[in-house]
Amino acid sequence: MIELKNTTKIYRSLFGRSVKAVENFSLQIAEGEVFGIAGPNGAGKSTLISLLLGYLRPTSGSVQIRGLDPRAFVEKNGIGYLSELMTINPNWKTVDALTRFATLADVAPHDVPERVNVVIEELGIGEHRDKKIKALSKGNLQRVGVAQALLRDEEVLILDEPTHGLDPVWTQRFRTIVEGLRRPGRTILLASHNLDELQRLADRVAIIDHGRLQRLVTTGYDRTTDTGGTYRFSIASGSDRVKEMFPEAERSGDDEFELTFSSIADLNSALGRMIAGGVLVAGVVPSRSVLEQQFREAVGEEN
Amino acid sequence: MAGNLTRYSYWQLRDFIRERGYALLITSTLLGFTLVMPLRAMYGANMSVDSAKQILMLALPQVVPIAAFITLNGLVSTDRKLGYYKFLFSKPVSIPAYYAQYFIVCLVGFLLTFALLFGVFAFVVRPVNPIGALTYCALVYLSLGGIGFLISSLFRYDWPILAGVYLGSALLNQLWGMSEGWRHWVTNLLPPLHELSPALKSIMTTGSADTKSIVWLLGYSAIFFVAGLIVLWKRPIG
Repeated sequence: MIELKNTTKIYRSLFGRSVKAVENFSLQIAEGEVFGIAGPNGAGKSTLISLLLGYLRPTSGSVQIRGLDPRAFVEKNGIGYLSELMTINPNWKTVDALTRFATLADVAPHDVPERVNVVIEELGIGEHRDKKIKALSKGNLQRVGVAQALLRDEEVLILDEPTHGLDPVWTQRFRTIVEGLRRPGRTILLASHNLDELQRLADRVAIIDHGRLQRLVTTGYDRTTDTGGTYRFSIASGSDRVKEMFPEAERSGDDEFELTFSSIADLNSALGRMIAGGVLVAGVVPSRSVLEQQFREAVGEEN
Repeated sequence: MAGNLTRYSYWQLRDFIRERGYALLITSTLLGFTLVMPLRAMYGANMSVDSAKQILMLALPQVVPIAAFITLNGLVSTDRKLGYYKFLFSKPVSIPAYYAQYFIVCLVGFLLTFALLFGVFAFVVRPVNPIGALTYCALVYLSLGGIGFLISSLFRYDWPILAGVYLGSALLNQLWGMSEGWRHWVTNLLPPLHELSPALKSIMTTGSADTKSIVWLLGYSAIFFVAGLIVLWKRPIG
């Protein structure tokens, strides 16, 4: 569906200085997949997205969407795109901006008002429909951005920092919206600094740094890549017994311990021993998600 | 042209009115008044149609090129500079077609603005058939438009370059217009703005213009307009 083959993008200044924003990047994203891109600031995420929209052309290598050059794909089909920077003319009214984008997105003329109303309702921006873009708060502006990306039933969605500026309620609601958008044949690409969000929403996540693909992480449980991890145990009663059974356990709170396992099987066996030993376990959560762990290993602790 | 883009011309016309139309109307009115009012006072109350035409022929070359400059400035570059292209062109739209259409929409807006101004002229001075004057306006816009479109496609900060080209060509045509040798060739390569004054005279007096001049003006502009479209087609906008 989306394929990058040995893609390199080098920015050259007039004075001969050059910066490699993306280097020898190869990746395939399947239809029906929700794919995440994570990386520290300046890792090359925005350049990668600009290449996918045809706003930039690779210096070498290739980028294709369904076998087409990105620009040819966009001009034929359109892409539901949310930019990290909300570059909408500040003098447009919310409803006018969405009507314009719906018109350009080739929504049938008689369906435009209804479609605009649907996304306004879905993103909860009804009370701001007649306000100018410049009068909107950051969170509401972000919701307008998400709304315009959902105006048409696009087969490719690219959402760059979609929950940036959203409050916790709308962050959660956005996640529900993205889960609802998942369908066979549709590819959703999410770029985010929020690893928790990517862990929850994406099937796979590319961790990039210095323009290179550092790791490709499958977010769900994968038997073949099971390397265990550190887990936090909340204990309802019997905390003293935990320390007796597992001297290596580190106390992380009054009734909380952290234990590291080499596999999920080890975790389950430890849990069994605790329960059999009379410990009442209130909860078990990974101290760091698989993605967070991989991210830290790939780009270093300083990021 | 795709249906979605054709329908979007309504919004482009609204953009023209809000972002350029008012500025155009105010600037042209102010300029026009400073030029027209003393002449109106000179000719007196019972002015003939020919005298009114004379006033227009004196005022138009001062006002219309500046108005065209205001209209053409930032045609493509504003969207690139402010990043508006990011949302616009994620939709199924051809970038060259979008700006070619905007160029035409701006011409329509430009002519509507001058039609309004000629209405004011008819009220303040005396009515004159506006067809000749509007033809001249269209000719100025189209003559300057090609190179303006190319410069706006190439550079984010297009207006100083555009102003430099306009002023430079006007100045060099004045200085070297009658010269021989390489200077003659340099003036031939510059935008043929010096052809506009004879064209105005001819259009306003006889209702037609020298075909060779018109072909040169529009042909020269068309080459640059097509070059601008090629830039938008071949060069990524980001």
